[in-house]
Amino acid sequence: MLIPILHRQRKAAQAAAQAIKEAGGTIEQTRRVYGTRLLIRGLLWASVYLLSRGLLELTIPSAAARVAIALLPTPFFVYYLWTWMKGVSEMDELERRIELEALGFAFPAAIVFLMTIGLLDLAITLNPDDWSLHHVWLMLPLFYYAGLWRAKKRYQ
Amino acid sequence: MKNRLKVLRAERDWSQQDLADKLDVSRQTINAIETEKYDPSLPLAMKMGRLFDLRVETIFSLDDVQATESRRRGAQ
Repeated sequence: MLIPILHRQRKAAQAAAQAIKEAGGTIEQTRRVYGTRLLIRGLLWASVYLLSRGLLELTIPSAAARVAIALLPTPFFVYYLWTWMKGVSEMDELERRIELEALGFAFPAAIVFLMTIGLLDLAITLNPDDWSLHHVWLMLPLFYYAGLWRAKKRYQ
Repeated sequence: MKNRLKVLRAERDWSQQDLADKLDVSRQTINAIETEKYDPSLPLAMKMGRLFDLRVETIFSLDDVQATESRRRGAQ
């Protein structure tokens, strides 16, 4: 089911890139548009996430309301992720390789990190105020950005 | 892999950005190819060949180590 959707997205992205080119634009302009969109949608998601975190700190008795608040950032993150995926489909071959290498670094790093945290938790019971899932997930994007920095540096 | 991209570009008085626009890639990609940090895909290499009106192997060639290794494998 996902493959036809991704295929359609890719076609749409290529059509959009072609439209920019035909309008006299360059691949650099496409990058700027992508960067701006990614930033705005990322900030939107981060804002909703912080709002959700803030609301969940309050005493809300209804479990349904708490679940709804907890799920609030998810569509915004999916929207952000969709922007990223669309951006990748508009990238040239080197940029795609950089993204792949970044993910190739981030994924094993995330596995090692989570495995280590899990084992340490079994060994000494880590403090949940520092090492619960809502703290630990923040490390995962950092692995991606570390991988991105490493890959970009390699091809600079 | 070695390449003559920088020379060919200079002969035509094109900037990296000019060449990037003609090939529909980013300037960083051209820079990475010229500095031999990245080997382009076959379609991109062929686009370069068409743009410069040269054969791909005129633009790109294996470096000494790769060429020796290739010859050694061919002889086996």
